[in-house]
Amino acid sequence: MSGAAPGIVAITVVAGTGMAAVVATSVGLMPLYGKPAPSLDGWRSAAPDLVAGIGESLLIALPATVLAALVGFLLAALMLGGGRAASVVRLACLAVLAVPHLVGATSVSLLLSDGGVAARLAAPAGGDGWPALVGGPWPVATVLELAWKESAFVALVVLAAVAPGHRMRMQVAAGLGARPVQRVLRVLVPTAAPAVGAASLVTLVYAIGSYEVAWLLGRAVPEPLPVLAFRLFGSIELTDRPAAAAAAVTGSALALCVAVPALAALPRLRSLSTGGAP
Amino acid sequence: MTRVVRTAGLVLALLWLVVPLAPVLVWAGAERWSFPDLLPRDWGVSGWREAASAGLPLALLRSLVLGLAVAAVATPLGVMTGRVLGWRLTGRPRMVVALLLVPLVLPPFAVAMGLDVVLIRVGLHELVSVVLLLSVVAIPYTAYTSATAFARTSPELEAQARALGATPRQARLRVVLPAVRGSILVAALLAFLVGWSDYVVTLLVGGGQLVTAPVLLGAAASGSGNDATVAAMALATVAPPVVLVTVAALRVRGSGRTAPADRLPEPVPDHERMR
Amino acid sequence: MSARPVSLAATALASALLVSACAAPAADSPATSADRPWDEVLAEAEGQTVDLWMYGGDERGNAYVDDVLAPAAADLGVTVRRVPVADTKDAMRRLLAERAAGEDEGSVDLVWVNGDNFATGQEAGAWLCGWSDDLPNMRYVSDEDPLVSEDFGVPVEGCESPWHKAQFTFAYDSARVTDPPATVAGLLDWAEANPGRFTYPAPPDFTGSVFVRQALYALSGGAEGVPAAFDEGAYDELTPALWERLRDLAPALWREGRTHPRDQVALDRLFADGQVDFTMTYGPATLTELVEDGTFAPTTRVLSVEDGTIGNASFLAIPASSPDQAGAMAVADLALSPEQQVAKADPDVWGQFTVLDIALLEDDAAHAFDRLPDSPVVPAYDELSRNAQPELSSSWVTPLDEGWRREVLGRP
Repeated sequence: MSGAAPGIVAITVVAGTGMAAVVATSVGLMPLYGKPAPSLDGWRSAAPDLVAGIGESLLIALPATVLAALVGFLLAALMLGGGRAASVVRLACLAVLAVPHLVGATSVSLLLSDGGVAARLAAPAGGDGWPALVGGPWPVATVLELAWKESAFVALVVLAAVAPGHRMRMQVAAGLGARPVQRVLRVLVPTAAPAVGAASLVTLVYAIGSYEVAWLLGRAVPEPLPVLAFRLFGSIELTDRPAAAAAAVTGSALALCVAVPALAALPRLRSLSTGGAP
Repeated sequence: MTRVVRTAGLVLALLWLVVPLAPVLVWAGAERWSFPDLLPRDWGVSGWREAASAGLPLALLRSLVLGLAVAAVATPLGVMTGRVLGWRLTGRPRMVVALLLVPLVLPPFAVAMGLDVVLIRVGLHELVSVVLLLSVVAIPYTAYTSATAFARTSPELEAQARALGATPRQARLRVVLPAVRGSILVAALLAFLVGWSDYVVTLLVGGGQLVTAPVLLGAAASGSGNDATVAAMALATVAPPVVLVTVAALRVRGSGRTAPADRLPEPVPDHERMR
Repeated sequence: MSARPVSLAATALASALLVSACAAPAADSPATSADRPWDEVLAEAEGQTVDLWMYGGDERGNAYVDDVLAPAAADLGVTVRRVPVADTKDAMRRLLAERAAGEDEGSVDLVWVNGDNFATGQEAGAWLCGWSDDLPNMRYVSDEDPLVSEDFGVPVEGCESPWHKAQFTFAYDSARVTDPPATVAGLLDWAEANPGRFTYPAPPDFTGSVFVRQALYALSGGAEGVPAAFDEGAYDELTPALWERLRDLAPALWREGRTHPRDQVALDRLFADGQVDFTMTYGPATLTELVEDGTFAPTTRVLSVEDGTIGNASFLAIPASSPDQAGAMAVADLALSPEQQVAKADPDVWGQFTVLDIALLEDDAAHAFDRLPDSPVVPAYDELSRNAQPELSSSWVTPLDEGWRREVLGRP
């Protein structure tokens, strides 16, 4: 255990202190200035925004995760085919994985916003003008950016999990008379499912906690929880600090509510805790 | 699968992966590009000049320092944890794994918000605070990456070295470490990327005073720069990590030719991901 | 080591951190500087380094501080180190946290502030007070000037020294707008009659926030119709009409009012691209440069508003936690000197309007102001500030910003 201790202690101290402080701040125990006074005012004043924020966070995170899982699985399936194509796609996935979300969001904004590249392409077609994908009523650009980058992550995780023995499984299935569609549905999908699930969970939790994409590409009202928390945290209004902390606590609780039951249900992640063999 | 379907799939996959980044590439070389022209009317480097005068070179240097610092802290801590996990040296693997998941599950902005309040009162320098927090974010990646590598390496290695007269320190540094060197480099790369790419923690805990490349880009992209400048900043921010990862991937591939054809030489660790 | 002691140790360490953070004393009484001869202040200032925290997004402001103010301060033996912040609130968060920690070696010596930032600092007792009245160059500032004695309704009381004045200004492209409106209410009508050609930044952006206050004045019969100090009754009585007007206006705005530019710079970009016909700013001096470098069309003009626009002053304040207070005072006094004020008012340098009363100046200094080149775009301050309206108290700002967010943006 002694070897694990420093890393584990660092995580516990930093995450523990951070969460304890953010909870204490939300109930007025660590005000921006003045004397600490326990109260639920921060929670009360933020309540309507918190409810809307949970909705907006899920409206972003759920579609982004579903799309990332779907596209990620297809990318993995393509790579499992092997050959030069597989290496090119794999390299592209790795490159996308290395792109900071902020850069991705910047680029998607240049692509999908009002005067963006896509709007230029569509301009000759005329019509009612370009739909408000960035900052509009639906978080389209936000979802697409998250799905784009996380699909590369899902693809690589699935590839790593399924590639060993994939060719053999396919040959055996073919030998038993399975047609290509059956091979995919009966063999590949079940083999890949745990990895897709685990990667989707990581994506979902990340999307719930991510700030910069929705901040850059999303609309002003309602805001997802991280954007709400960050905006209130920047304010120097005395009442906003506890409200910001309340939004942060709500965001963390939402992530935990999603992660804990899912972790318990995922056999692949559980197997890690019995020794970590790949 | 027929050849046509495969080719179509490949084209679609590459479009999906590459198109979202294309505007940055084009805009970074544009001098004038007014709506609704499909391509810039004039090409030039004015975006780069403006980005440079806004402090891009220094910001890139700060990002480099931050990335290296996070790698220097998170890699040894992660490797130590990974060794314990990979060689099953702990009676409580569940607890270690659960704690390693904490930084992945808790939103970094929430932890940073709480810590900012504490650290500023304790009086820790911003750079130290940011490195500390980002190292904690990176430890799960470094730990899992090295745990996978240790699990593939026999614990006997260390015992044999000891039997041959090596001190525990020598056995670890001279014998075990070289055996898992590749994975440690991957772990360090992941930790570096966490530090290089971070936006929200640097902004929150750095209090706006630690202007890394993403912080500079965020300020410009949210409204105050022109598109060519923003694109130049974005390209400068994205190029180093992409080049690093691509080079690392090609090298690992090159060294892994002896592996069975359908097995990837270097499985991507389960939690490899960057922000 | 087994898991239990590890977690125990971690918990102990975490709680120690928390306790040390909470236990910090929080003194809320304002610090007052001792009255003493100015020579003594200057003597103490010599050799000090003053960290001036200011909004860093204004290139010409940065250049003025680096190239004009700092060298002059160096002649006094004071080093000025400009610390750029993306938002003055970054500096406020920092100094409030240092205040809460009982720090007396803080990192902020001088801040460019006004409005709610000043008010919050005052409420927290974070400013050094009773010093600005004693600055030698305060003799050129009129006692009667309400813009300088009150900051968004909060009495200044020697807690900050005036730096420059600003006037909220609308600008339009005269090539595209041939029938410019003459009042703020007229501007709203114009926007409705010309769909898609007008918008304003979303509050709480500084500029968007002033626009909403300006609209409140216009719909409430001018500044007299709105009590300067915030009061719930007045808010409930006056704002429904404001929100209704702005909601009705929304479909005629740029992008049907579904989105707003993030800040004034974003609005400027729309204006420069010809997507809208009006822009607005609290710093009209920048218009000259934007026209000169070709960002804005040469046909850009400042809208002359008969019922007047909102004006304010901004200040330099010294945190109580500053370790270089004498140096900070020396720089604040220097910044107030006629030489610095006239240099800063030059449209080619920064173009910020002076806080000095020209009538109180010696002849040479007054002439220097007369000799300033005219801007081809921006009229002189006395013309621009005709019928100027005072800012509402800073306690109005947040309720109005929040009200706009909920009532206008939230309900399309």
